[in-house]
Amino acid sequence: MILASGPLRAHRLDEYLQGTLISIEKNRVQAQIALTPGVAVYPILLAVIDADHDGVISESEKRAYAGRVLHDLSLSIDGRSLTPRLLSAQFPAIEDIKEGRGEIRIEFESDLPGGGPSRKLLLQNRHQSRIAAYQVNCLVPRDSDIKVVAQRRNYTQSSYELDYTQAGAVSSPLLRWPSGLNAPALAIALLLIARLGFLWRSPARYF
Amino acid sequence: MRSARRVPTLRILTLFLLPLSGVVAQTATSRIVSAANAFLSTLDQKQRQSVLFAFDDEKQRTRWSNFPVQMVPRAGLSLKDMNAAQRAAAMTLVSAALSPRGFEKVQQIMEGDEVNKVNSRNNPIFGKDLYFISFLGTPSEKTPWMLQFGGHHLALNITIAGDHGILTPTLTGAQPALFTADGKTVRPLAGESDKAVALLNSLDENQRKQAVLSFRLADLVLGPGQDGKTIQPEGLKATNMNEKQKTLMLDVISEWANIVHESAAAARMAELKADINETWFAWSGPTDVTPGKNITAYYRIQGPHLVIEYAPQTLGGDPALHVHTMYRDPTNDYGRKFTGK
Repeated sequence: MILASGPLRAHRLDEYLQGTLISIEKNRVQAQIALTPGVAVYPILLAVIDADHDGVISESEKRAYAGRVLHDLSLSIDGRSLTPRLLSAQFPAIEDIKEGRGEIRIEFESDLPGGGPSRKLLLQNRHQSRIAAYQVNCLVPRDSDIKVVAQRRNYTQSSYELDYTQAGAVSSPLLRWPSGLNAPALAIALLLIARLGFLWRSPARYF
Repeated sequence: MRSARRVPTLRILTLFLLPLSGVVAQTATSRIVSAANAFLSTLDQKQRQSVLFAFDDEKQRTRWSNFPVQMVPRAGLSLKDMNAAQRAAAMTLVSAALSPRGFEKVQQIMEGDEVNKVNSRNNPIFGKDLYFISFLGTPSEKTPWMLQFGGHHLALNITIAGDHGILTPTLTGAQPALFTADGKTVRPLAGESDKAVALLNSLDENQRKQAVLSFRLADLVLGPGQDGKTIQPEGLKATNMNEKQKTLMLDVISEWANIVHESAAAARMAELKADINETWFAWSGPTDVTPGKNITAYYRIQGPHLVIEYAPQTLGGDPALHVHTMYRDPTNDYGRKFTGK
């Protein structure tokens, strides 16, 4: 047997792979980020994750790091900012991270406010951007009322846009809730306007 | 004329002889089951215990990886822990479950890991004896069971359910993806690379604009640990391809679909051919190719019953020399359609 040459590396090396899979529902977006540090960059990550440098990733350190990852994300729907809520965070053993085979899995969700039939979700990831290799994909929606129209990304996939349609949503912009105003507040406002109109037409308006 | 006459005569003779020899009765499944039982009969009690798992053992079902076995431990019995007769029986079984080219590909992937071992001064994490075999369920012609065989850059998950042979999910890979052995150049995943290039080169400018994605894909999206997920397809849909291009895409697909034994592969190819208009082709990365070498671009072929990913690995070396691939059927991974598991 004769041999081939070249470096022998069975593991991720100098990048921090961050693969995100997004799942869209009518009232909710859920996502999983699988983060795999390469062997050449794990010291950068461990210094952040194992904050007290005791060689163990404690529960509070796991929560803190997951929070940091979520803090480095920007998520919005139809131009309205969303706050990701942590669902779970799974960490491998430090030895696995050191060998480039350790995958951190973080799951989060966010409630989606009502919207029109055509929607745009935006996800931006800035976490460890200097060493990151981002990947973002949308899962085929389980709800047949939701159809993915387009996915757009920049070259590094740090910025991801998802256009989708949602059957059964109110289509007229006049009937959409104005941005920043919740449904009960709008209902109260409409009632007040109606009451004022009634008073204006009534003779009592002169008193 | 003479040869034309000879053919029917031979056919008639064969029809008489086949029932006598019992060949007609030997389906692919019965051949695999016989080979599985022959292998099991070579094992001692302890070995049998380590190789047999319950059919519903989800942990074992999903215990596969692209990593070497010392980095991500597998369960079952490794070739290293078998004697020569047991090893021969194990490889006969793997051979029975695969097509001749599929078995050759598997052997080349294993041979590549042996090259790794020698190149790394006998690093014990590499080597062609570090491949594990296991069974989920009991080999049977009627009741579903699974044969797993894998190690570094290889994870064959073969579900046998009656006459059905399901190869998904299966991971193949190669490092080095180009080497010489016994004076011959070996490229275990040559077809996967070269046929995809042929498809890409057949596209016109407008088709290429759709097929070639504008962003980088660093790795597999649906690799190990991502069972049961279906991502939104992207790229060029086959409805926008001509018949020749569809044929070229089926040819790429055949590199994975034809790993399994011929009758299962034929059924699988028929299914994927029927789906062809709903199948997508996406490419990310360089479109230039060095003749005789693998591509350095990622590509994906995705249909209603198919996800294929080809992902060169940028791990500090030449990505053409280190490739991971994934072959899935999101509707039937582990044969769930036939087994309900």
